[in-house]
Amino acid sequence: MVNRIKKTAIAQQSGWELRDICVELGGTPVLQHIDLTLEPGSWTSLIGKTGAGKSTLVRLIKGLIPEFTGEYWLAGQPMARDRKGRARVVPEIGFVFQYPEHQIFETTVEKELSFALRMRGDSAKEIEVAIRKMLPVFGLSEELLHQSPLLLSGGQKRRLAIASVLIANPRLLILDEPTAALDPVSRRELLRVLRDWQRGGLNDEPRTVLFISHRMEDVAEYSDRVALLHNGHLLAHETAEKLFLHRSELLTQAGMPLPEAIELLRLTEQLSGRVLNPSSCREADVLKRVKEAWSTRKGTGGLADEYF
Amino acid sequence: MNTSNAVLVGQFIERDSALHRLDPRIKIIGLLMFMIVIMMLDSRSGYTAATVVVLIILLLSKIPLGFYFRGLLPLLPVLILTLLYHTIWGKGQTILASYGFLQITVEGILEGIRIVWRILLMILPASALTGTTQPLILAQGLETLLKPLSKLRVPVEQFSLMVVIAIRFIPTILEEIRRIRLARRARGFEPSNRNPFSRLTEFIPILVPLLVSTTRRADNLTLAIEARAYGDGRHRTIFRPLRLTKSDLIAGCLMLLSIAILLVIDFYLSNTHI
Amino acid sequence: MLVFDQVGYYYRRGQEVVKKVSFTIEKGEFVSIVGGNGSGKSTLAKLMNGLQLAKQGSVVFDKQTASDPDQARNIRKAIGLVFQNPEDQFITTNVTDEIVFGLENIRVPADEIAARVRSALQAVGLERYADAAPHELSGGQKQRAAVAAVIAMRPRFIVFDEATSMLDPEGRNELMQLMQDFHKQGITIVQITHHMDEVLASRRVLLLDQSELVFDGPPDRFFREVPLETYGLEQPFAVRIGQQLGWSGEATADWKGRAASQWSTE
Repeated sequence: MVNRIKKTAIAQQSGWELRDICVELGGTPVLQHIDLTLEPGSWTSLIGKTGAGKSTLVRLIKGLIPEFTGEYWLAGQPMARDRKGRARVVPEIGFVFQYPEHQIFETTVEKELSFALRMRGDSAKEIEVAIRKMLPVFGLSEELLHQSPLLLSGGQKRRLAIASVLIANPRLLILDEPTAALDPVSRRELLRVLRDWQRGGLNDEPRTVLFISHRMEDVAEYSDRVALLHNGHLLAHETAEKLFLHRSELLTQAGMPLPEAIELLRLTEQLSGRVLNPSSCREADVLKRVKEAWSTRKGTGGLADEYF
Repeated sequence: MNTSNAVLVGQFIERDSALHRLDPRIKIIGLLMFMIVIMMLDSRSGYTAATVVVLIILLLSKIPLGFYFRGLLPLLPVLILTLLYHTIWGKGQTILASYGFLQITVEGILEGIRIVWRILLMILPASALTGTTQPLILAQGLETLLKPLSKLRVPVEQFSLMVVIAIRFIPTILEEIRRIRLARRARGFEPSNRNPFSRLTEFIPILVPLLVSTTRRADNLTLAIEARAYGDGRHRTIFRPLRLTKSDLIAGCLMLLSIAILLVIDFYLSNTHI
Repeated sequence: MLVFDQVGYYYRRGQEVVKKVSFTIEKGEFVSIVGGNGSGKSTLAKLMNGLQLAKQGSVVFDKQTASDPDQARNIRKAIGLVFQNPEDQFITTNVTDEIVFGLENIRVPADEIAARVRSALQAVGLERYADAAPHELSGGQKQRAAVAAVIAMRPRFIVFDEATSMLDPEGRNELMQLMQDFHKQGITIVQITHHMDEVLASRRVLLLDQSELVFDGPPDRFFREVPLETYGLEQPFAVRIGQQLGWSGEATADWKGRAASQWSTE
């Protein structure tokens, strides 16, 4: 296996670090005093209502916003605020836009997949190996390679677009609503693949993911940490467990819904008068506690006897 | 998707000015006549007078001048190329420099300037028209002016809808271009800064996906228009019919007058041939 | 009443996207049409108001046949259609013009248009955005403008073709609320969706799989009897927990209310 890591050895120890970042656009503050560290090898979800500053934060991380105050550290070094700075950041970051299938620009599936690799000057052999490895993961067959992307189905196009970003093996992958408008089974399948990749399923080491989503169920299911933006402020940057199970009032404050399973957990706590402590905020663990509470309810009061 | 605020081409700017209130038909006819006159102009004093007229129009629109100049930015490469073309290929006697078969002549440079000047004199009032007229009103104006053609089975109504859609989708398509360029850059493509042609070549691979997405949009839009019972566009009611007021007529007369003055200046007061 | 009788449609012969589909939708119903990506459900929406004409069988709405061009026009007046992409169905350059456009098409007298625009803006809560251009609106607001443009035409029947799929949760909830309001006012609602919790708001489900209609019945039975996974779908939370916690009675979208009442019943 060709090891591509040697080419991009920065950001290995310390990941991405924002210190006291403020951004103004057209005179209005869009981001205010943001302190955020993306731990290497973690899945961080970025949530907040439309207009909370999510896309500005992402653009900043990509080095596309030159005017900001505060510091942006990459691998223990401050990031330069010019073309050079961006040139350093770009190869480190993979970015999956919303509806990425609309941004496919090459004439064949193979060219689309290999674009990023060609741009950084990989050899034909390396490119072929990388493509062979990528295809089965995303359920694309080799016969498709020489076809035009236009002939693929909607779901295939989405997977091709995402595969074309992952193939470059970026250290940080930013996903902006990657599952929007997919049917439920395709959505779960795609998230599973992304999770696998992040955990190091395709490489030997875990990768960092910044995941933007409106679906709190997915956020609670997959995140290690959650960054919550509200009116340009970072309201919380916590582990998913802590935010969803212990500090959920912050979500309410930011106008975000709770995952349905956690709402049910709260409701069951109210009904039973007991505090249910699930082992994580993932749905299976939450529902396990909920089920226990429901199975031990007695009579109309529903208060479990052994607790009183 | 509030990112297209920077888009200025063909955009309507809400202001309260005489030009905004003017009937679109008068504005369209005025613009056409002015453009024809510009083509006929022959002397430096004619060009100067026309420049004064254009400046007055721009000022009357109460739209900041910066808006017009930013609107010209996308055209800058075309203007520069025009200038270069005439500088290099223009014929003349007064040779400033020559490299092999290329000659730079004073006449060539002057010709280049004259043509760029002419282009500007035509584009600026045109953007004053789109800047002061809501697209729908503009289309309505065109439609009424072209009405006689519908007797010859020209689909005038559909043409006017086409104009509205074209203006409506300029920001959308520019946004699309921006996103595709961003997608390429996000995957490591970096256009070289020094070579102006690399910026041009960057656009060629963008054209394919742009064409695809525009076709998709066009399909969707056709469905949306049909779903709202547009039919062939005939026999629709008109919510706000255009009515010529007295001040519209007076403005029209003023326009005619100034165009006549322009021609007089050009023909009779000309001393320097441009 | 909308009647599909053995309707078939294909873009290329031999590759049918809709196969022999028959159903009847009565006045005042609230129907969901579901299916995985590429099951043919969007084509069904276009067949309903004559945007596409059936290649086999017939589509009839209140005695008007969609295959007859004149009658198709009448059908389009009566059946409004809201599409998936908010950007691609905004035809004009501001919200008011967008509503006016359809009204001019169906020859509403000029003096009535202003009043209709006002009430349509009010119905979708966009009064403050009457003059806003499309790029000044969020996706959800654009979609509400599209709904306003449809509702101003006073349709008896509205089809929402995956109209919520590109919206954030807030926009989605607002649109769902509008659907329910319109349904209460007696308008027939058909929604095409793959959000299963939206299905619970309706009274009847049509499931399309590989171009064929494979299920027609109430949501409760749909979630109980149909192997959803095989169709690319999943049970909504409200149904799943009802089953897992052994709740009795029918599943509804309001699982919280149901939980409270189930807790106290043995």
